[in-house]
Amino acid sequence: MIKHHPKYELIQSFVKGDLPVSLSAGIAIHADMCSTCQQKIVQLTEQAAEVSFEEDLLDKLMVDSQGQDITLMDFDQMIDGITETDELELQDTIIEKSVTFKNKTFKLPAILNSLPLGKTAQFGKLARAAFQLNENEIHTNLLHIEPGGGVPKHTHKGFELTVLLAGSFHDSHGKYVKGDFIMLDGSNVHQPTSQNGCLCYTVANDALHFTEGLNKLLNPIGSFIY
Amino acid sequence: MAALQNNFITKVIEAPPCNMPDAIDHAQLSQWLKAVASTRDKQAFTGLFKFFAPKIQRIARSKFPNETQANEVVQETMSNVWRKAHLYDEKKGASTTWVYTVMRNVTFDLLRKIKGNKEDNLSDDIWPIIESIQTESEAFDDHLESKELLNGIEKLPDNQQQVVRGFYLMEMSQEQLAQHLNLPLGTIKSRLRLALAKLKVQLGEHHD
Repeated sequence: MIKHHPKYELIQSFVKGDLPVSLSAGIAIHADMCSTCQQKIVQLTEQAAEVSFEEDLLDKLMVDSQGQDITLMDFDQMIDGITETDELELQDTIIEKSVTFKNKTFKLPAILNSLPLGKTAQFGKLARAAFQLNENEIHTNLLHIEPGGGVPKHTHKGFELTVLLAGSFHDSHGKYVKGDFIMLDGSNVHQPTSQNGCLCYTVANDALHFTEGLNKLLNPIGSFIY
Repeated sequence: MAALQNNFITKVIEAPPCNMPDAIDHAQLSQWLKAVASTRDKQAFTGLFKFFAPKIQRIARSKFPNETQANEVVQETMSNVWRKAHLYDEKKGASTTWVYTVMRNVTFDLLRKIKGNKEDNLSDDIWPIIESIQTESEAFDDHLESKELLNGIEKLPDNQQQVVRGFYLMEMSQEQLAQHLNLPLGTIKSRLRLALAKLKVQLGEHHD
């Protein structure tokens, strides 16, 4: 059962379109598998719409929030231009994509289909492929952990989002299953291990910071995963 | 002197007549949107345009200081409304919600384009049309008699109060309410959801 969900405020930002692609996609993937969050999304979208389009005195005066006059666009010209064609837009058919890690093929959620994915890099039982989203310090990856594999104990200098696409893993706080949306930051230290293997969508905005003695030497893994 | 007078006259002409502030006429908007989809009704589209374009422009101006970009949002959004009107389903929600999502997607894609990425138009993948879900909660029947709840209902905006009273207290169906208030079914559903959300907050339930 999915137990981990995006926070209310994060969903609010999501419906307003204020989150970067990496996080937006993460929420979309989770919502696809979680009707509770889908409901929240519907509700919050309606709220945002009502707030935006409320009949407003500012509209009547055609000024913006700073009191500056807004030059009226040429409505009629725009309307004519738009209505010139009668065509209705057809919806694209969804192309299904899949990825393969160590001879195991996984079907990707539809949202990830249009995100460019780089080559897979392997490091022991970990494999990762990076999404090329041009988000500077935010790195988004597909992370595959083979059965028995795991990530050494670490914390995060920034934030780390993990959305489980397949399989499961656990740490000292419990077990995580497909669909779980796990957001961690500097206040969390964890050591995820996967008995049966798993595939995760991860978004992180700083390298993992390995916390234990010998493992501090493992910070190269952090850069690898990041 | 002449230039000044010209400016003054232009400004007077441009300011529209000040009407009494109305509640949003959801029934009208919904009807126009459906007309655009079914018969490519240009007059209906003009009605929608005159309602939404100024609002979209104002919102876009706050997100894009560049006037050209703000106008592009209006152009793109209304163009999408024209071309995708057939995707609007009034049973699923208010027309204002639907147009909002079109505007949000256009804004999202344009911001990405400006940030130097190629035009990847990811918004349609991130926000696919999700089936709306029934949210009317049975738990509310237990509270129905509670004074707290009735107080809460009284604090709701008029349009939401109407649907809550009709649905819960007079036990009208959503379809009956839609007919009775002469509003699209989707608008009734939206208002119920919003009202429930507000009441939940007032009664102190957590969201997280």
